[in-house]
Parts: sequence; structure tokens; C-alpha cells
Amino acid sequence: MSVYPGFRDDLLAAVPSLRAFAVSLSKNADRADDLVQEALVKAWDKQASYQPGTNLKAWLFTILRNEFYSQMRKRKREVEDSDGAITARLSVHPPQEGSVDLKDFRRALEQLPEDQREAIILIGASGFSYEEAAEICGCAVGTIKSRVSRARTRLQEILAITGENDFGPDAISTQITNSVFTA
Amino acid sequence: MNYGKPKARSGVERRGKGDDPLGANSEIGRKLRQYYDDLIAEDIPDRFSDLLNKLEQKSSADTAGNKD
Repeated sequence: MSVYPGFRDDLLAAVPSLRAFAVSLSKNADRADDLVQEALVKAWDKQASYQPGTNLKAWLFTILRNEFYSQMRKRKREVEDSDGAITARLSVHPPQEGSVDLKDFRRALEQLPEDQREAIILIGASGFSYEEAAEICGCAVGTIKSRVSRARTRLQEILAITGENDFGPDAISTQITNSVFTA
Repeated sequence: MNYGKPKARSGVERRGKGDDPLGANSEIGRKLRQYYDDLIAEDIPDRFSDLLNKLEQKSSADTAGNKD
């Protein structure tokens, strides 16, 4: 049984937001769906620890985020074995209608370090307060503020660069691959 | 109203209190929401409601916790 009637429906209603957050974190639609699935299972298993009336979305985002980082640690080990596979994974975005502009934006976002990317998404897109974002990420409010600010500055820089120098998608994927996975 | 004031060189400029750096006047803020809203608007695969149905059935049959 559920902590309260309608828990299942509330989880289902949160799926679009969870997916959007998962795609933003993982940069890959298939991985994002797996993440959401894992997060839902975990949320269900530990529903007793959810206090009805508190922010369910924030609680779910916290679970999904923890799942993401634990999967990322596992994957990092896999990637070291098969470095060809990662480039393919990075380009699996479903084709989306939208301006080149938005594609550039997505690529810029993907170049941010995870901590900055999640901070700017939580604050600028998911509608969380700085306090909620800090709780989701397990850090201080000031840390979130500085990550958002660095993310924003970095995005402005990257987007300006993208406009001037015509990097192809492959060049950018390679940059991402190199910078993120060979450190 | 007062948008015509000269801009400082980078994002490091100090902004007024309560001025939201990702608000409606920020291009980054607008793109961010457009990017995210597109993701939210995607169709949700059936696997998620199927999964939740299964979880609900399973826990009404068996209430053993599965923590990790």
C-alpha cells in the first residue's frame, strides 16, 4: 500500500519533470528513461521516508540525482574499457524540431560540468528555489548560487564561441568526450 | 524601462537585489526554459505507468521493504 492514496498518481504526474531532469543530467534520452525507471522503483521502495505534504517533486529529484551519480561512477569504469562507445552514446539525441539556436544551446549546456549543469537546470528551468536546489544537491545555498552564476557565465562564453568559430558536432563531441572522460 | 544602461563587460557584474539573472530578460534563462519545456512536452512512454501499476500490485501483495 501507499503512504497516501494517490501516491502512485502523483509519481506518474512527476514523470515528465523527472525525464526532463534526467535528460539534462545524462545527456541521453535512453539513459534518462532508465534513470527515471530506477528512481521510481527506489521512490516506491522508500516511500515510508516521504512525508506527505512536503515537496514530492524535490524528494523525487533527489532520488533521481543520487541514482544518476551512482550510475555514472559505474559507467566511468565501463567507459575506460570501451572508449568508442561513448561517442556514439553522446549523439543519440532524438531529432527534435527546433531552431539551430536551441541545438547550439543544448550542446553548450552539455559542455558544462555536471554540478553547474544541474544547478542551472534546477533553478532556471525546474522552478526550484535556491534552498530546495541546495537540499536536492546536498550542498549549501551559496554553493548553488555560485554554480548557477558560473554556469550562466560559461554558457554565454560558449554560445559566443559557437557563433563565431564553426565547430562541427563531431569536434564538439570529441571535446566533450576528451574533457569529461579522460580526466 | 531602464534597460539602456551600459553593460558591464561580463556576467561577473554585480546585479541589483532581486534581479533574477535567469529571469525573463535573460537570453540564457529563456533558452533554458525552452530547452526544458520541450523535454517536458515529450510523450511519456507507457513503461512508466505500467511500472507503477506493477509496483502497486506488488506492494499490496507483499509489504517487505527492499532498501539499499
